[in-house]
Amino acid sequence: MTDLALEHFFPQAKAWVDGLGDIPPGSWVKGPKFGYASWEVGHIISLVMIGGTTILMNLRLLGAGITKVEPAVIYRNLRVWQNIGVIGIVVTGLLIGAANAVKLYDSSAFTVKMMALLAGVILTYGVSRPVAAANGAVGVMPRVWLVIGGAIFLAGLGILCTTALIDVGVYHLLTALALILIAVMRGRLRWLYIAGLGALIVAQFVHTHIVIKPDDYAHLDPVNKVYTALYGAWLVGAALVTLFRGRGEEGGPLTKLVAYAAILVWVLGATAGRWIAYQ
Amino acid sequence: MLNSFLNWFEHVLGKGSALDAQSWSEALLGSLNFWSLLEGTHLIALMLFAGTIMVVDLRLLGVTFRKIRVSFISDAVLPLTVFSFVLVVLTGLALLFSRPILYYHTIWFRFKMGFLALALINIMVFHGRVQATQGSWDADETPPTPARLSAAASLFLWTLVIICGRFTPYDVYQCGKKQPDFVNWIQECKTSEKGEQNMAGQRFDAQMWRAP
Repeated sequence: MTDLALEHFFPQAKAWVDGLGDIPPGSWVKGPKFGYASWEVGHIISLVMIGGTTILMNLRLLGAGITKVEPAVIYRNLRVWQNIGVIGIVVTGLLIGAANAVKLYDSSAFTVKMMALLAGVILTYGVSRPVAAANGAVGVMPRVWLVIGGAIFLAGLGILCTTALIDVGVYHLLTALALILIAVMRGRLRWLYIAGLGALIVAQFVHTHIVIKPDDYAHLDPVNKVYTALYGAWLVGAALVTLFRGRGEEGGPLTKLVAYAAILVWVLGATAGRWIAYQ
Repeated sequence: MLNSFLNWFEHVLGKGSALDAQSWSEALLGSLNFWSLLEGTHLIALMLFAGTIMVVDLRLLGVTFRKIRVSFISDAVLPLTVFSFVLVVLTGLALLFSRPILYYHTIWFRFKMGFLALALINIMVFHGRVQATQGSWDADETPPTPARLSAAASLFLWTLVIICGRFTPYDVYQCGKKQPDFVNWIQECKTSEKGEQNMAGQRFDAQMWRAP
């Protein structure tokens, strides 16, 4: 089990963090009746803008979505909106964070969120956008940034998967990858993939509702972890297949790897953000 | 009548005979992880739904993809939008099922449903009327006024749906608390579990309507 909250890295900051909510801008956010909720709305709308632009730009690199338009054209048309989304998420995030600093300081989910934000910015601005602008060609610098951003993304994912009370959030990433694959796969391969996924879902339901009683947590926990690993293996395996198959898309396996990472990193950020509340 | 149904829905449906038995609704709300997963999925599906609808609306407004035919964008994007909308609705219904009485008597939830209905009407009007002439303006950099109005209405209404959705869990206005008459009226607090209280502190308790 991991517990990598910021308080373990910066224990000397506790007094400063404790007072953040009582001084501007934290106090401005907390003051009005709907202040905090209003900034949260701004945070969600920014996330929506990042979501729409990132998904469409990277699905195109995977050979799905707006396939009648070149990736470079999609990039040029969406980049402004993506910029607004990223700036919005950072500004509203800082304000919300200042008002809620004590809780975030003690939260591993927040650490994951910050890692996902950093990785998201690197993978979006350093990798995915240059690759889309080059119609799928992956240059030297995007490769370097892919290694750096990808390492931070995987480290954040590792913390999410191994921290009690937030590890279940990995199902959001599995769900997102499962849905991306439905959009990306074609023909019989798609149906084979869906059938395998359906079989896993049915098997897990039977195992955790009939074979083991739903309130028998001691036995359910390891079984659910095994199924989570099986879902992961099935989905990552299917994604690997799509790297080397498919028609009509620009770029090769590395381009598609960039696209998967650039979408999932923001899903990790959204997941970690939501699970701060549940930890 | 409706209150009795909601009461049955939340406290009785699926309840066994054991003393500590829970209804399905109570079990969902009290679940270790499932409720949280549903709420998280609702939010992430919203990223896809509202994010993709935003791109189509911006094209219809003539703000982005101006050189690209509207149909190239909408035909490719709307299947993703519809799929994610189904996911948003399913997870939303499940969340509603976990606390139907509370949500029913929440002002923001009522506004959200109202704006959602208007947004859906706007979609029907767009597909039924505006899109009928799309062939004549499909390649236009700036689509005609009806299309732009529909897109603007869509952006506005979905933003309001998001705002009301985010405000719903906050208890600033809640039946049983001291609050303005019009809020009590909109929330139908008189028929809620906690009754209503006006700004002068006068209480009007609801009938005890939870099943014994």
